[in-house]
Amino acid sequence: RATMEPETKRWKGSKCDDDSWVAFPVLSDEQSADVELVEAFAAPIVNRKATSRLVRELNGVYPLTGLQHVKRVRACRAEDSPHPLEVLLCLLSDVPNPADASIPSLLPAGSWEGLGEPFVVKVPARPPLTRPQFELASCRWPTTFHEDKQVTVALRGELFGPQQRALMHTFMASAVAAARAAAQLGMEAVGAAVVDPETQRIVTVGHDRRGEHPLQHAVMVCIDLVARSQGGGCYRHDRYAACRFAPTDPQPEGGAVPYICSGYDLYVTREPCVMCAMALVHSRIGRVFYGAAAADGALGTRFKIHTQKDLNHRFQVYRGVLKRQCEDLSSRG
Amino acid sequence: MATEESRKAELEAGFSVSDEEMKKWMSRAFEMAREALQSGEVPVGCLLVHGQEVVGKGRNEVNETKNATRHAEMVALDQLLDWCRRGNLDVRGVCERTVLYVTVEPCVMCAAALRLMNVPLVVYGCSNERFGGCGSVLDLSSAELPDTGTTFRCVPGHRADEAVEMLKTFYKQENPNAPKPKTRKD
Ligand SMILES: [Zn+2]
Ligand SMILES: [Zn+2]
Repeated sequence: RATMEPETKRWKGSKCDDDSWVAFPVLSDEQSADVELVEAFAAPIVNRKATSRLVRELNGVYPLTGLQHVKRVRACRAEDSPHPLEVLLCLLSDVPNPADASIPSLLPAGSWEGLGEPFVVKVPARPPLTRPQFELASCRWPTTFHEDKQVTVALRGELFGPQQRALMHTFMASAVAAARAAAQLGMEAVGAAVVDPETQRIVTVGHDRRGEHPLQHAVMVCIDLVARSQGGGCYRHDRYAACRFAPTDPQPEGGAVPYICSGYDLYVTREPCVMCAMALVHSRIGRVFYGAAAADGALGTRFKIHTQKDLNHRFQVYRGVLKRQCEDLSSRG
Repeated sequence: MATEESRKAELEAGFSVSDEEMKKWMSRAFEMAREALQSGEVPVGCLLVHGQEVVGKGRNEVNETKNATRHAEMVALDQLLDWCRRGNLDVRGVCERTVLYVTVEPCVMCAAALRLMNVPLVVYGCSNERFGGCGSVLDLSSAELPDTGTTFRCVPGHRADEAVEMLKTFYKQENPNAPKPKTRKD
């Protein structure tokens, strides 16, 4: 047990510098994409009293299917505008001849008095998924937004409080120490630690060993060390002092038996490659925290394996923990 | 020194496998899968062949090792490494002239591992809709990943129906009542 305590001492020297990191979430492509826009016709409502009737009739003619997130009417932004409101008529793709933008050509015969001259606007094509997307979308046209508060806070880099950050710091410091041990053995300087977030204890620490076996990346080593801690595993690790595991505590009766990596967090100094990222899917990892990005990394730079909808397990990923120390490891080659 | 590209071109020119050979080794892989099925294991057969020699042979070992990465391909690659070690051979040199024969499309993880080992050719049976790394979920065989080994060529569809049938039989007998089987070809 004593050997599993995270190595915090060596970091005390440059404390304030070490604290400058921020953990940002790695979201899916849809969540991080720019706001996609689609062109629509809008028109001023010159007679405010006609608003509800016009909206009702327009909804009947052009229901704007797929654009439920877009509000039909907006208040005029310009203060000196002669009319107070504007309404969406239809999408440019709804009409056969969008070059002719007049009420009679866009709308079927009916009582459309109260509408002014049509004009083209761009509205958000998809519901915003994050607050930054919502704010950009709203600049174009008023939009509804079902906010995930946790994502909003995480995107500001404020999800983890000081206590949590201190723990994350020590966990990643253990991974950095293992990476340095790997470098001394002539392996790549990559280290990792698996943590049980329930007990805040390190389950395993491992490092890259690809000099000995081309597939023994730090993550693969840690996955096998977790298996060892549960009475399984298939590689010998005892030759490496910095690769170690804590045997699983005896479970209280009726308690959940640890099952591969489910419920565990992984701290790894460098963004995992696609083999390691998929190994984490198979192992049902809980969350992944990495320090430095990698050109072929598969949890942010490429693929975003943890957000792939076709796969049967998804998980949260945060980048940037002890970023500078982790980047220093990578750049030393 | 040969550049990466000239080395690859040279390999492709000098390295090919006849249809007959493919048939022969695939029927060995299918025998393995059938044996696995008969003993209640995931019916995947997998061989690594170098020249005329089987240098790696694997079956899924996820349950006994409690390590979810112990797919048949990973087990076979470990055997290849041992074989190289015993013969004191250069791993890359061996892998570059080795073919993987497997009854089911390798998953994303195994496909990446094959790249990292520089295996140039993968012959497989049915596709793996849930995890496949040779086109089903992602295509690692051709993706541009300069730090993740070399791309490889795929010959898919060999006796695919038979491979699918074995997987279906396995899932049925594995757990007749539960909707999700406990053991799977992940
Ligand atoms: Zn890796
Ligand atoms: Zn696999």
